[in-house]
Amino acid sequence: MSGPGPVKCVVWDIDNTLLAGVYLEAGDRPPPADPVLAGVLAELGGRGILQALASKNPPAAAEHTAAVTGWEFAAAECGWGRKSDALARIASALGIGVDTLAFVDDDPVERAEVAAALPQVMVLTPAEAAEASGWPEFSPPVVTAEARRRGQLYAERQRRQAAQRTFGGTRDEFLRSVGTDVTIARAVPADLPRLQELAVRTRQFNSAAGSAWPAGETAPGWFAGLLADPATDLLTVRLRDSFGDDGLVGGCVVARDDPMAWTVRLLMMSCRAMGRGVAEALLAWLTRRAASRGARTLRVPCTIDERNVPLRLALAGAGFRAAGPAPAGPASADFGRDLAGPLPALAGWVHPDPVAPLAGPGPEPA
Amino acid sequence: MSTAADATAGELRAILAALTGRDEMLAIPAGTSLFGEAVALDSLSGTLLLREIQQRFGVDVAGEDLNLDALATLGTLAEFVAARREPAG
Repeated sequence: MSGPGPVKCVVWDIDNTLLAGVYLEAGDRPPPADPVLAGVLAELGGRGILQALASKNPPAAAEHTAAVTGWEFAAAECGWGRKSDALARIASALGIGVDTLAFVDDDPVERAEVAAALPQVMVLTPAEAAEASGWPEFSPPVVTAEARRRGQLYAERQRRQAAQRTFGGTRDEFLRSVGTDVTIARAVPADLPRLQELAVRTRQFNSAAGSAWPAGETAPGWFAGLLADPATDLLTVRLRDSFGDDGLVGGCVVARDDPMAWTVRLLMMSCRAMGRGVAEALLAWLTRRAASRGARTLRVPCTIDERNVPLRLALAGAGFRAAGPAPAGPASADFGRDLAGPLPALAGWVHPDPVAPLAGPGPEPA
Repeated sequence: MSTAADATAGELRAILAALTGRDEMLAIPAGTSLFGEAVALDSLSGTLLLREIQQRFGVDVAGEDLNLDALATLGTLAEFVAARREPAG
């Protein structure tokens, strides 16, 4: 029952789980929320854990459940197919791994089906779920404002994706049309909790596969040290557009010990910023900044595994290369690029933060 | 391009059109850069493309190609996939 890592999304059954009764059997007066589980839902949601529904019911049951629990669910799968398929679709829609899901259902047949088809999922009875808020898998180490708003941000994301599907133009035209705004700035102490959270939670876009700091050191200690190091830039990336403000979605650690060869010791980004030009903007900006300050090469050492392919795609698109064949398992690869010659284009919506300007001599890259 | 790569390129165009919602993907030449302006493959659309290629053709591009050189153009990707895909049937 104990999952290997933190749970990012709880997928709830509706009948006799989140509702105290069966939706379709209740006629004109659908059942109220189960008070205990509704409380667990709100507690876990407040910690930034996403909440979703998977139910053998018409979609109206999900709307009713949202109304009686007062919760905006990040995803809802209503239908009569297999629950394991519903869970896989939810993970895909939210851009998270199936191994970060927990599933709560009163029906032992449904629990067994999901446990057999998706052994990575933590499967719980309602009674177990009632206790779950005390378990470490449901207790993220830091809970930031961004995390508490996560459910709302996913809802904004669904509206944005719907708009993009009907837009018709190129990706850049879409990003410009929705007022995409990426701000890159030097981190300040108030940013550290969110940077630590990104360092621990992100996998698809994390150059260190979640372990950037040396063994024996903690994330807070490591980040605090970087903030004070004059040869290191600790940078934040913020994102917003007309659909909403995503806040601090990414960060990176750039070591300038060798002025000719800058090294990105950590590059990380929330998966909800993927597809919105942020990773591409950050890499373009980093190469331009390093080049404008006289560096000849920019290195991005990475721990490669099957989950951070999105990071490799962004590196490939920005002209970074590593020597050697693709490793079979998790392994390190030293990506880098020469800063002579053409650099990746910087989109017009990217700008350094005028309030917290970057330290160091020389102009910002244009 | 070989005939097999030609056929694969057609299937890849259809995948790109479905992923991006843009019908003009159906007509891009084999030499079109996938990271360039026309297709603008990024970390999200690229991941979806590689996932679709793995499911449909049984080819793990990211597992074999560290630098993702296969993604240079539509033609290079078609050649890479055509040389490795499981026989249809």
